[in-house]
Amino acid sequence: MQFKDQIDFIRQHMKRNKLRVATTILAATMGCAFLIVLASVGFGLHQTITDDVLDNNMVTQIEVAGKTDGDTELAPADIPDAELQQIKGMEHVIAVVERNQPEAEAEIMIGNRSTYSQVVLSSMEEEQKAGFALSEGKMPAKAGEVVVGYHMAERLLTEAEMEKEANGEEVEGFAGSLIGQTVELELTPFLNEGEERTESSTWEFVVTGIAKEPAKDWMTDVAIYADSSWAPIFNEELGLEKGFKNILVYADELQNVGGITDALKEDGFYVYSVTEELGTMNVFFTALKAGLIFVGTIAVLIASIGIFNTMTMAVTERTREIGVMKAIGAQPKLIRKLFLMESAAIGLIGTALAVVISYGISVLANWLVPIIILSSLGEEDAAGISIVISTIPWQLVVIASAISIGVAMVSGWRPARKATQIDIIQALRQEM
Amino acid sequence: MIKIKDLQHHFKIGKKGNERHVPVLKSVTLEIGKGEIVAILGKSGSGKSTLLHILAGFMSPEKGSVVVNGQETAALKEAEQASFRLANFGFIFQNFQLMPGLNAFENVELPLKIKGMAETERKMKVQKLLEKVGLDQVAGHYPNELSGGQQQRVSIARALITDAPIILADEPTGSLDSETEKEILLLIQSLNKKLGLTFVIITHDEEVAAVADRQYRLHDGELVKGEQRHAV
Ligand SMILES: Nc1ncnc2c1ncn2[C@@H]1O[C@H](COP(=O)(O)OP(=O)(O)OP(=O)(O)O)[C@@H](O)[C@H]1O
Ligand SMILES: [Mg+2]
Repeated sequence: MQFKDQIDFIRQHMKRNKLRVATTILAATMGCAFLIVLASVGFGLHQTITDDVLDNNMVTQIEVAGKTDGDTELAPADIPDAELQQIKGMEHVIAVVERNQPEAEAEIMIGNRSTYSQVVLSSMEEEQKAGFALSEGKMPAKAGEVVVGYHMAERLLTEAEMEKEANGEEVEGFAGSLIGQTVELELTPFLNEGEERTESSTWEFVVTGIAKEPAKDWMTDVAIYADSSWAPIFNEELGLEKGFKNILVYADELQNVGGITDALKEDGFYVYSVTEELGTMNVFFTALKAGLIFVGTIAVLIASIGIFNTMTMAVTERTREIGVMKAIGAQPKLIRKLFLMESAAIGLIGTALAVVISYGISVLANWLVPIIILSSLGEEDAAGISIVISTIPWQLVVIASAISIGVAMVSGWRPARKATQIDIIQALRQEM
Repeated sequence: MIKIKDLQHHFKIGKKGNERHVPVLKSVTLEIGKGEIVAILGKSGSGKSTLLHILAGFMSPEKGSVVVNGQETAALKEAEQASFRLANFGFIFQNFQLMPGLNAFENVELPLKIKGMAETERKMKVQKLLEKVGLDQVAGHYPNELSGGQQQRVSIARALITDAPIILADEPTGSLDSETEKEILLLIQSLNKKLGLTFVIITHDEEVAAVADRQYRLHDGELVKGEQRHAV
């Protein structure tokens, strides 16, 4: 029998029992749609959280937290310069930034205004390669010049203003531009337990540039960026050891972060990058998605009982016709195929409808659920939150279709086999 | 064309352990040549249908051999049996056995579909045959819209459409009135003459058997040549 004729044959049979076939398809649709929608929540949450991680991290940044040589553990500050140069030479690495921070509390003062700050001592050249940019002014050219954070001016408060702010009132901060201004930096070494209060020291710097606004609006940048040549000077004056060192490796693109991370790990470096975080998350979400698909499959299995029933009834009803077909000379293989195709068709139509419906439900959920959640959070908290409840990637459609159509065919298997085993003589005896 | 030799068959009735053997065919031997019409007469329950079912390959005989066109049919597997039937036999049943969901044209077309013939060739062939058996006017009618005689004509057309050389007919006029019976018998005779088809007709009706070249009577599990035809 030609394939086209087989399709015609099945269509004719399905038409003859419209209502029964339709309700079976409805059940298959519901089962499959349930599976897709349920799993789509897993996919949606995964995407929301992945986006969140990518949003809130310097995605191309790899932090080097130390190194091991088997027995010896090296802190970032102790990693030899030659090795850092080697990293710099790696493919897809655009910059290696070494940030020194003296182990001291920093305060910036100008006139009667002051603010706590962080001292970032780094190679400005390397920082620029890594993406450091100014919102105004220019990069320091001389030893006594610095760049300050974007929020430095507004955080420089008088004592009166600090009090006002503590009472919840709005404060202005430093009016006008800090560029060209001379600021005082006071460093007070951190106290270890049992130590007496050590002397603080003060340096004066001229501000030449303001760093650009941080990428995230919840970040406040009140740092003071100076050349790393200041590190030994500060440490000697304050009688400190090496201080903290932060080594940050920057990749050219997100897709190369994983490769660089792995290469560094192989060399014994302790590294941390966004791919690491995503990696652990991926394991969790893969398990979650698999679990949701499993639960959804149960719905499909329940629907398959309907398919089994429908096909069994179809075979019983058509016993005489099947007998005639066999008598005329139809192969048992053909009979089985026709019935399997019919149950597959029910699965196929059900799945197709389910995919369409699921996309509808998904869109609706992504529109409606955030509205409900955000309205319960209140307007202020709601700003800037974007939630994806449900996504249906093509892989999910493929998996769900395979499960639904597969289950439909399996449930049609026994009825189809029963059809091939029909005894011709018995079948021909049946009344019309 | 058909050689039946020392065919034996019995049925078991009743529960296991307490079963009764009912011998239906004790020793049946029969040879049918190409282009013959052979009628097999017999009382109800004498085993006529059983003989036909074995001949058609619907069931296997307990003993004996059936050779059709040089092929020992009992040696064939189920799938091979089906192909063999499709190529060699056409069937006419007492109650027509048409597909209720297919119209006359589609019912006749069905064996060709099963064979896998291409649509245009198939349609032409069916159209021609329907004209030949006088059904072209009702080609679009469904079985429940046809008279008994028309239904049997459709079923005859279905048996002929594959050009099978042997037509097996079990009580072909059993459900028809005597007028229509005559019509159908004439059709069978003319097909036999024009196309050289071989017919095996099972019947309990002497008038039907009269169209046959040879008559046999199945009695007590054995075939007796038709001289006894007026004994009833
Ligand atoms: N499947 C079966 N199991 C047991 N006995 C059977 C079976 N089929 C037929 N028989 C018996 O075999 C005998 C012959 O049956 P068969 O149908 O061949 O008769 P028949 O000559 O065709 O009769 P009729 O003219 O009424 O159609 C009958 O006695 C019947 O009861
Ligand atoms: Mg009979």
